[in-house]
This record gives sequence, structure tokens and C-alpha cells, in this order.
Amino acid sequence: MTAAPTTVGGVAPQTVTRSGFELFWLRFKEDRAALLGAGTIGVLIVIAIFGGPIASAVTGHPNTEQYQQIMQDSFGLPKGPTSAFWFGSDGEARDLFVRTMYGARTSLIVGVVASGIAVLIGLVVGMIAGFYRGIVDTILSRTGDVMLAMPQLLISIGIVAACSSNKNGCVIAGPIAIQPGLALVIAVIVIFSWPYIARLVRGFTLSIREKEFVEASRSLGASDTRIIFREILPNLSGPIIVYTTLLIPQSILFEAALSYLGLGVPPDTASWGGLLNDAQRYYDTAWWLMFFPGLFLVITTLAFNLLGDGLRDALDVRAER
Amino acid sequence: MKKPFGRLVALAGVVAAIVVATAAGATAHSNKASSIKSGGTLNVGWEQSFGFTDNMDPTGEYLGDAFGILDNLLVRTLVGYTHNADGPGNAIVADIATTVPKPTNGGLTYTFKIKQGVKFSPPVNRQVTSADFVTALEREANPKDGAQYAFYYKPIKGWDAYAAGKAKSISGIKTPDASTIVFTLTTPTGDFLKRLAMPAAGPMPVEVTKCFEGQPGKYTADLISTAGYMIKGIDEVDISSCANIKPAAGYDGQTILDVVRNPNYVKSTDPTRKNYVDEVKFMVNASNVDIYNKIESGQLDMATSSIPPAVLKKYATSSSKKQYFHQNSGDRTWYITMNLTQAPFDDIHVRRAMNYIVDKDALRQGWGGPTVGDIANHLVPDALFGGQLKSYNPYKTPGNHGSAALAMKAMKGSKYSTGNSGMCDAAACKNVLLVSDTRGVDPGMVATLQQDAKKIGITFKVRQINGAYPTIQTPSKNVPISERPGWGKDYADALTFFLPLFDGRTIIANGNTNYSLVGVTPAQCKTLKIGGNCTGVPSVDTQLDKCSVQIDPARTTCYENLDKYLMTNVVPWVPWMWSKVTRITSSNVTHYQFDQFATTPAYAMISVK
Repeated sequence: MTAAPTTVGGVAPQTVTRSGFELFWLRFKEDRAALLGAGTIGVLIVIAIFGGPIASAVTGHPNTEQYQQIMQDSFGLPKGPTSAFWFGSDGEARDLFVRTMYGARTSLIVGVVASGIAVLIGLVVGMIAGFYRGIVDTILSRTGDVMLAMPQLLISIGIVAACSSNKNGCVIAGPIAIQPGLALVIAVIVIFSWPYIARLVRGFTLSIREKEFVEASRSLGASDTRIIFREILPNLSGPIIVYTTLLIPQSILFEAALSYLGLGVPPDTASWGGLLNDAQRYYDTAWWLMFFPGLFLVITTLAFNLLGDGLRDALDVRAER
Repeated sequence: MKKPFGRLVALAGVVAAIVVATAAGATAHSNKASSIKSGGTLNVGWEQSFGFTDNMDPTGEYLGDAFGILDNLLVRTLVGYTHNADGPGNAIVADIATTVPKPTNGGLTYTFKIKQGVKFSPPVNRQVTSADFVTALEREANPKDGAQYAFYYKPIKGWDAYAAGKAKSISGIKTPDASTIVFTLTTPTGDFLKRLAMPAAGPMPVEVTKCFEGQPGKYTADLISTAGYMIKGIDEVDISSCANIKPAAGYDGQTILDVVRNPNYVKSTDPTRKNYVDEVKFMVNASNVDIYNKIESGQLDMATSSIPPAVLKKYATSSSKKQYFHQNSGDRTWYITMNLTQAPFDDIHVRRAMNYIVDKDALRQGWGGPTVGDIANHLVPDALFGGQLKSYNPYKTPGNHGSAALAMKAMKGSKYSTGNSGMCDAAACKNVLLVSDTRGVDPGMVATLQQDAKKIGITFKVRQINGAYPTIQTPSKNVPISERPGWGKDYADALTFFLPLFDGRTIIANGNTNYSLVGVTPAQCKTLKIGGNCTGVPSVDTQLDKCSVQIDPARTTCYENLDKYLMTNVVPWVPWMWSKVTRITSSNVTHYQFDQFATTPAYAMISVK
């Protein structure tokens, strides 16, 4: 006997085929916090690109111009927000609003570029280690472990100090050298970030390489390179995207920590960390120095974290809401 | 007839008493004498790290703050100072010597007699003899023992031969008996007594120092005192053999220096130190904010630390806090150094233009404004010239804010200014390396300099280094410009600026203090691996030699002229501030006094509740 199809109101249900992205989007758009995070990041990117010059143009205050006569008292203490200086002045009598807007650019560049490079290195190392296992895995994994065991801040201080003591920076080979400043800060962050990603990727790769579809691909004669890039890599995209969004705020905070210690970007380059470093001298008399850059830093970190959480939930169907 | 005379005497007595009391108060910059009492502990905060240059070993230590500790608390010398502020604090008085000797033999011979009763602290416990001064000076001459100002003693006959290992003793130091020491010089040296008043010349017991030969900075933890205090725990150190010597508990080199009373100290042999407190503790603290919170609450009594601007303002302006706010002449110049071998500062036009363009008032503002110091118009603080150069200001600008017009006028004729435009427009003027530090004040100074220099076409590539001095002090690093340097006198003589800072013969590979490389020769550039324009670098070595043998008042005049010559014909710096020494004390401190020699608190003269 053939079973009759179940009907509702006499209409047979239709099976809708959805792509992976559609499924992801359906889940993601229901997460309001994640959407808010994504929207905030969008705004921050606009601020990073256009915020500094626009702020300068609107206020008429160039990024590095000092206004000691009007924005410092006779003891050199900075003055607070006014109608002309919306966020008050920083410790060097510059417009804090303009500096904060320019700082967004530095912080986001560091966050995105450093995280991107770290993810790329971690991805390559992790996939090779996880796929080939054996001696290759041992060498790469132990190298990562050594990096993780190093005291980050102390090594960072050493690297930055060593590269700052002459005009040419750290000469790696011939004309290749890391100049102190943004590039060096990014390099330091990358050095200490890739092992985390490599470890994560290695774990996933070890698991994926044993799956049936990989076996099938191998039995059809696919090369290692094809298996890695066509079979394994696409399956890593979810966790990698999620981890990257969480790594970006970490990198921004690491830059802030380095700048807070005076080891970050040059003093004339605005960054939120540098502004917070400046604020410590005046924390009990100039609240605005801590408040505004700190607020932007918190918002940025929160936005990336919310986005990361939302992406994780949307990409991982097993995750509980 | 007698009565009026008696009243007159009584009146004169009262007036004299008032005058003496007023003078004493003015000199000491202190609280009322009646509030002085003995006993208690003086707790001193120290920001970040001690920062000693030789771990406070008297032989090599060259930090002014360390001079204040050694000179007041631990090391007596043949002649010394009164531990007072201003002029009286710079006057030489007899300390271990019975009197201040007059030089004989045309200024070449100095003979000292040593007081009886001056003993080394435990565990040495014996009378100081003339041989102990020889021990100290031989240690100073031995290059392996870490001396950093041995050049001051070069006029002693046979010094160089001993230093080079060519003689077993310094022929110009003789000890006819245990209480006599005779110095013979190769050339009259007008400030020789002041050189002998530096801590390195204080007596050292050979039975202990022999254990630290060739180990710079190691002697400190077992420093044997001759003054009113000793390092806590030194009395428990076993000096029966070098192997048994362990560091005294009171000094770890990193976080604490604790000194207590020296039981062998005989007050009657010391005309100057009062030694009011029983113990002095110097404690390192990472935060200057925390330090001043502790001073306000009475947990600390004073500090060797930068003062947060808000704290400075509070104590300088509050009527209830002003009694704890102390300021004295720092005898220190803060300056921007320009390297005479590096482009574009190898051109005097550019250096002169820099002197005109820099907004000195803005630089000072970043440090706390007029409260922290006076604008510097030339190299050596006016105080060391008795104010003779007070009106000398070769690069005067309105309000000390700098002048683009004057700077561009000075730039004309420069090889880096095409078509006499007044702008430094050659490629060498762009991205010039500027080495800065990570102190709180540095970013503001750098911002000011960038803003100013840009007006005459110079842009900087800034390198911020945590502890910039070692880089600046290494000529092979070829640092064109730095805003980090400041220099304080070693003793009250302008020579202590000119000799270390401008003598071409003193330029060395590491730890060099002639940052501008005044007087450097092509041969030195080759030896020291200096890359730059080393031909025709101006030298003042001849003028220095001429001035150093003079005796006042000709000596001061000679140095005044040298200051002017350097400011106009060499132009190695942009001097911008003569800082004051500001100290804030807790309410526990009942008497504060300043030591003008060390430009630190006179720890031996301070009392607490």
C-alpha cells in the first residue's frame, strides 16, 4: 500500500533548496547584536577612511597642530571639551577629536592587516601540519608552541627597542628591513598571533582529512595540493572567519598596549592606544583623554566581538542559540 | 652712661639674632629650626628604577641623584660641601682634611692633613688613612673598574701612566705618613679641590675593594661608609676573605636602598652633616602618581621622580600645600643636540636657524610651564656665571616662541637652501632622524619640534626609544638630532659642562657625552665608525685648555666667552630650559634642606616627625 502524502489544507508542501550563504544569512540576520556589530564596523571603516580629514576640515585643526596658548593652562595641563574642541585637547595640546578620528585609521589598519597576515600564516602552517602529520607536524607545531611560550610583551619590547636604535630599523637581509612604526607593530602582532590560528587550523585539518569526501577525492587521484585547497580549505572558512573577527580586536588592543608602553607607532601618528598612553599622565584631571579614545576602543572591540559571535552562530549549525 | 650702651648692645644683639635667623632660614629654604628633631625614618620614593650609571659604586657612579646619596649619607671626602642651597652650598669646606689647603709650587701642589677619629663603618672599623685615598683614586684610574669621570683627575702627575698600566702607582700622589697626602699636578688646575670633593675621591678600604677589582658596580652592595650612615646589614658582612663577602641586605640594586646610622661615625669630626634621621629608605615605585599619592598620605616623605602636572599645580598654587613645595636652582640645561657631522646639521646656517625657529616656551609648557624652569638663552646656566650672562640672548625671539622670519634669514647662505630661499629644501632636510625617548614629556616635545622645523622645511623621522641615551651616546649611530639631553653640573664650575660636552678629545665609542661631536677629527670618525661629514668640524679644544688653567675671576670670564663663542660660531645645541629642582615633601618632614652641589635634597639635613 502506498502511503498517501501528508497534506495541509489540501496543499502539498514544497521543498525549497537554499544555498549555504542563504542558510547563513537567514540565521545571521536574526541576530540583532551581530547586525549591530556589523553596522558599527561599517561606520568605523568609514571613519577610518574619511574621519580624520573630515574632522580636520570641519574643526580647522590639523592632526599634529598644537594649540598650547588656548588649550593648555600655565602648568601645561590640557583643557577639556569646548565648542571649538569637541573632545578637548590631548596632553600635547592637539585637538583630541581630530586625533581620535585619525586614530581609528591606525587602529583598524593594525587590526585588519595584522590579523590578516597572522591568519594567512596560521592557515598555511596549520593545514600543512595537519595534513602531512609526522615530522612536518612535529616541527611546525613545536615551533608554534615555542612562540606561544614566549613572554609576548617582553619580547615585543626587545624587538621594538632593537629596531628603533638606528635609522635603518631592523635589517633582515640586504635592503629588506623593518622600520619602527606601524610596520613593526604589525610584525610584532603577527609573530605572536599566527601560532594560535595554526593550532586551530591544524586541529580542524586533522579531522577533515579523515572525512569520506577527502577519501573519495584521494581515490579519484587528486593531488595533495588539490585536496588541501579544494576539499579542506573551504571547510575551514567558517572557523577562520569567526576567529579572524575575534583576532582583529585583540590586535587592536595589542597595538594599544604597545603604544601605551611607548612602543607602538611614532608619537606623531595618532592611535587610540597612544592617546590612552598619553591619558595616564592626566587621568585624575583630564577625564576626556581617557574617555573618548577609550570609548571608541570599547565600541570597536565590542562590535567585532558581536560580529564574531554572530558569525560563529550562523556558520556553525550545531551551535546552540 | 652704661645704661644706653647696654641697651644698644641688647638691641644690636636682638637685631643680629633676627638677621642670623632670617639668613639661616633663607639659606636652608626650610621650616623653622625649632621643628627639627632627631630620629625617625625618611622614606624616599624613586620612580621606575634607580637608574644609576654604575650601580652607585662611588668609582663610576655619575648620576646626580646618586651624588646626593653618597655625599650626604655614605662617603666623606678630603674637602666637601655644606649641604646647603644656592651659593653657600657650592662653597668648598674641609671634611676629612683638617683644613682646605692653599696650593703651593705655582698651583701644582696640594697638601692635606687628615683628621683623627674618622673611621670606616663596620665591618672594617678602623681609622681612615692617607693610603685609603690612594686606593680610591687608583681604582678611579684603573679603566677596568668602571670610572666614568676619570678625566677630572688627569692633571695629577703620573695618572695616565698608571691608567695605561705603565706604572705601579700614581707618581703625583704621595703619602709621607698615615695622616698626610700630597698631590702634585702637571698643570695648575683651578678647580682641583672641587674635583677632590666628588664621591670617587672618597677613601676606600683596600681590604674590601681588592675583592671587586675589574668588577664595575659590584662594590656598592658592600660599600664601606665613612659618613653618618651605612648600608643596612653591612655590619654582618664577613670580610675575612673575598670569598666570604656577600652583599649587604640593605641594597639590592633594583628596588631598595636602606641606610642606617654608622656606629663608627664621630660627629665632632664632621663640620657639616647633621644626620637628623635614624634611617633613610629609598624605594623604587613604578608609578609617579602612586608616589605622590603616598607622599600626600604620609607613606612616603619625598621622591626622586617626575611630578605629574596636576600634582605640581596643586602644590604650587594651594596655600595649604605650598609649605610642602620646595624649589631650588637645578644648575641644569635642557637642550636639543645637533650632530655637527650629520646633514643638514653639518651646516651652521641650519643650526642657527633651528635656534631661531624653536618655540622654547612651548617646550617648557609641556614640562609644566614657568614653574619648572627658566628659558635658556645659552649653554651654561646663568647661576654658574653669577648671572653675568643674564642678558645674553643671541637668538632672541618674541616671547621665546620662535620666529620663522629670523630663522629663514639665518638659513640664507646654507648649502641646503636653494636660491637663498630661507627654506631648507634639499633632500637632506627631509625625514631627518630624530631620536626621542618614551618619557611622558617626549611626545609633546617632538610635536613642537616637528611643527617648528617644518616652517623652515625640515621634517623628521622620529624614533622613540625607551632609554634613548645609549643610542645618542654612541657616535657610530649617527644620530643627527635629539631632544632628549639635559646636563647638570658635576660641581660648581662651568668646566663641568664644557669638558664632557665639547672637548673633541673626550669623544669615545660608547657612553660619549659630546653628542654634537664638537671637535671631532676625520681620524676619530674613522676609528669610531662615524659616517658623515667629518671635515672641518669646529673645535674648541684650545679654548678649553686655556680656560681650565685659569683661576677666578679670569676663569669665569674665560668660560663666559667660550659659551658665547659656542653659541654663535659653533652652535651645537638649541638650549631651551634651565630647570629648577622641585621637591614635594610629606607633612612628616619637619625640616627640608637642599644640597646645591648634588642638586638633590640634602638627606643628611632633613628631619622628620
